[in-house]
Amino acid sequence: MKTPLVQPAAPTPTATVSEFIATFAVILAAIVGLLLFDTALARVDVAERKAYAGREFATGQQLIAQGKVEAAIEHLRTASTLDGDNSAYGVALAQAILADGRPTEADQMLSPLLERNETDGATNLAMARVLAKEGKLDKAKSYYHRAIYGLWPRGADKSRTAARFELIDLLARANAKQELLSELLPIQDDTTNDLAQRKRIAHLFVVAGSPARAVVIFREILHRDSKDADAFVGLAEAALSLGDFATARTDLLAAQKVMPEDSSSLKGRIALTDSVISLDPTQSGLTLPEQVRRSRNLVQTTLASVRKCLGVQAPQVAVALDSATLLLVSGAAAGQAQSVEQNLSLAEQLWGLRRSRCAPDGQDGALALIHGRIAQ
Amino acid sequence: MAAIKIRALPARLVRLVEDLRRKEDRLALLLSLVIGALVGLVVVAFILLTGRLTALMYPPGGSGWRRIVVPTVGSLVTGYLLFKYFPLARGSGIPQTRAALFIHDGRISLRSVVGKFVCCSISLATGIPLGREGPAVYMGSGLASVIARRLGLSRAQIRSLIPVGGAAALAAAFNTPIAAVLFSLEEIVGDLHAPVLGSIVLASAASWMVLHLVLGDNPLFHVPGYHLVSLKELGVYVVLGIVGGLSSVAFVKMLLWMRAKFAKMPRASLWIQPVAGGLTVGILGYFVPQVLGVGYDQVERVLNGDVILKVAITLAVLKIVATSVAYASGNAGGIFGPSLFIGSMVGATVGSVAHLLFPASTAGPGAYALVGMGTAFAGIIRTPLTSVIMIFEVTRDYTIIVPLMISNLIAFYISQKLQKEPIYEALARQDGLHLPRSSSRTHGAVPLVSSAAREVPQSLTPEMKISDAAERVKDSALESWPVADELGLIGMVRTRHIAHALDQGKLEMTIERLMQIARRSESDKSVDMPHVHNDQPLSRALARMRESGHKVLPVVSRANVRIMLGIVTFADILKEFGVESADELDYRDHPDL
Repeated sequence: MKTPLVQPAAPTPTATVSEFIATFAVILAAIVGLLLFDTALARVDVAERKAYAGREFATGQQLIAQGKVEAAIEHLRTASTLDGDNSAYGVALAQAILADGRPTEADQMLSPLLERNETDGATNLAMARVLAKEGKLDKAKSYYHRAIYGLWPRGADKSRTAARFELIDLLARANAKQELLSELLPIQDDTTNDLAQRKRIAHLFVVAGSPARAVVIFREILHRDSKDADAFVGLAEAALSLGDFATARTDLLAAQKVMPEDSSSLKGRIALTDSVISLDPTQSGLTLPEQVRRSRNLVQTTLASVRKCLGVQAPQVAVALDSATLLLVSGAAAGQAQSVEQNLSLAEQLWGLRRSRCAPDGQDGALALIHGRIAQ
Repeated sequence: MAAIKIRALPARLVRLVEDLRRKEDRLALLLSLVIGALVGLVVVAFILLTGRLTALMYPPGGSGWRRIVVPTVGSLVTGYLLFKYFPLARGSGIPQTRAALFIHDGRISLRSVVGKFVCCSISLATGIPLGREGPAVYMGSGLASVIARRLGLSRAQIRSLIPVGGAAALAAAFNTPIAAVLFSLEEIVGDLHAPVLGSIVLASAASWMVLHLVLGDNPLFHVPGYHLVSLKELGVYVVLGIVGGLSSVAFVKMLLWMRAKFAKMPRASLWIQPVAGGLTVGILGYFVPQVLGVGYDQVERVLNGDVILKVAITLAVLKIVATSVAYASGNAGGIFGPSLFIGSMVGATVGSVAHLLFPASTAGPGAYALVGMGTAFAGIIRTPLTSVIMIFEVTRDYTIIVPLMISNLIAFYISQKLQKEPIYEALARQDGLHLPRSSSRTHGAVPLVSSAAREVPQSLTPEMKISDAAERVKDSALESWPVADELGLIGMVRTRHIAHALDQGKLEMTIERLMQIARRSESDKSVDMPHVHNDQPLSRALARMRESGHKVLPVVSRANVRIMLGIVTFADILKEFGVESADELDYRDHPDL
């Protein structure tokens, strides 16, 4: 006789309704109790983790200040791991990694932070720095703007201005004058009470090719303090940029007068201005022969500069030399006024050649200023 | 619970409860939510308590000797507790969960759940490099089982709640609700089409919500957004799949080999065996502290690209050794977490080398560590679908999914080829449990062995003489007879072999001797004691008959293959399929059987 096989097991008890309800009551009580227990435990755990992370972050920051980047990264990483919610730790870690020369890794660290909070000013600023380091200027500018207009939990105005100035410095280094000017214009009147900031902005206006705006700011500073030597120097810079060499010299002398103890650097500038004034063929009030002499001198000086940077054998130099010699010889036969025009034109061409082929040279400061004025 | 009496229950409440008990669907829905929430909270408590205990054991700036003493003492304490009070709390918990599901009608005792909680907390907190996920699955399933039994549910209902509790636990332990559902179906139930899918999903979601309520919305690992740098990189991911697959096999084989060695030691040494693991881990941890504990903080660092090639190789090798010794010696804890650790280190190693050779066309080692985690999981645990989804959920990063799938499948394939039996099945087999494989699972109304099996005939004994045995079998039509000693079944002997020995006049020969002679004979295929289980389909029994050449097979318990529950004959199977065979069927009603 076949017997169906069922595994032997204890018979399942059938609970009564009371037992059924009691079981559910116990379960629900356990759920409530565990929820309270877990929540309390989690709070303690989170508080301890955050405190520990805070200590690690502080140690990391101290090490960064001491220049010990590699050791700092360890502590910042621990802080970031322990308290992932605090984006400041992640940002600090990314910046330390960037300082350690690993921009790609820093980029990868910041991306998820930005995904979590794309409007965070500090994270965007850190990303901008990473991208600038990677040479991705267009993207870097975009992140700088996000930082400027992003959210800063503390000291928003100061942080935004600092971010903007970082961008401005980047643009100045990249010689992006138009963009630099467009960044300067919004803050032209923002920092009225901060004198150092005002001077910096005015100086940057000169760099951005807008010396007239710089003049307005420096005059305003002098209006408040007529003995501000920096403002006089700034005015001189702006005047040089405008080609007004005489005014520049006057301003420098005024600066020297109010700050005689710092005359060494001023003397150099005054000497440069004197040199420019003595070379400038476009200066008003010169006689025609003097104009001719100065223009010829300018051609020769410019040619020497070109020769210095490109070498004598360079074909461009040879062609320019031929043209210059020819012009200098034919200049005697031509009218003096025409000769001045031709010399200036040739000097301008040579200077253009030099600028396109060679890096700026500090020794050619006077030449640069004169050619700047001729170009105006 | 039975002692609790609630008097004067409102009639409406009684009706409501009775109604609920009658409608199984509603009850399943409610229980899934309740079990999900409860298990989630228990697992969160387990994680938090373990974390706090770890902080106590290893305070910041603690001296190096702690790293030797703490795991050694920890394993001594857990070894004693496991031996004396909680023998079922040893090891991972996944094989035990499956055993409960397939062998013990879904029964897991509350004592085992408590034991698992206590022992694993101590074990993990003292730096034993095992995982918390496997034990959590056991705790979750255990709680579900306890609740179901307290509510007086049927066996089928209790069984159906085992994977529900398991999924809820994994969702909380690993913060991966979808992977938890898949793991529960793929590994615990072994059937992606299981009818309990809805309950599993609900419980997983409830548990995950509880986790978020208490611990907030944090992925297990914070990982940068990785992506495929160039198509050439796929070649490197193929290499990672191969290396990951081989490492997985090495880990599994080493663990099983060591465990078999420990199993051969005297039973009296069972309580002290975990100390061997604890001491080994301590010595390794003294020199390389990253070996201690599950090491998720180290994994996070590697995933973030903070990796040195030499360190990654060292950690991969040492973790394989430390985890193998710790697990094999009988400490409490799982292999889920260590798999991810090993995978991340293997991935970081491959990634570092690739990035060194092809810096422009490969991502950093962090990306490979991420894929390596999934690769090792697919190779060791052998749940390829779960591994892909799990990495996606752990990192919440979709971009690396294609390389992940490629590497995982390669590792899975290599692991399958070089290590036939998946690790959890092999572990269960070492414990004498024969768990069903997913391939042997049945869908729909397939006739099972239990439907065709009959009671066990009186077995022959090994010391029985041929003359006596011949007397016993002479009136029976059975072609093979079970032979059993006092501990149970030892094999089958063919009736014709007995008859042949009788003809040869070897009346004094014992059955044991006859079996030895038969084993030596190359033509005898019954060397491995062919058997079937009563939950297997009859087609499996037919296949076993073909392989062994026996027309009679013993039906044995999955919990102990030496316990015979019945026999099944070829004729019985034919009858069950509706094919009558006159010459075979007449012995069916034989009075001797």
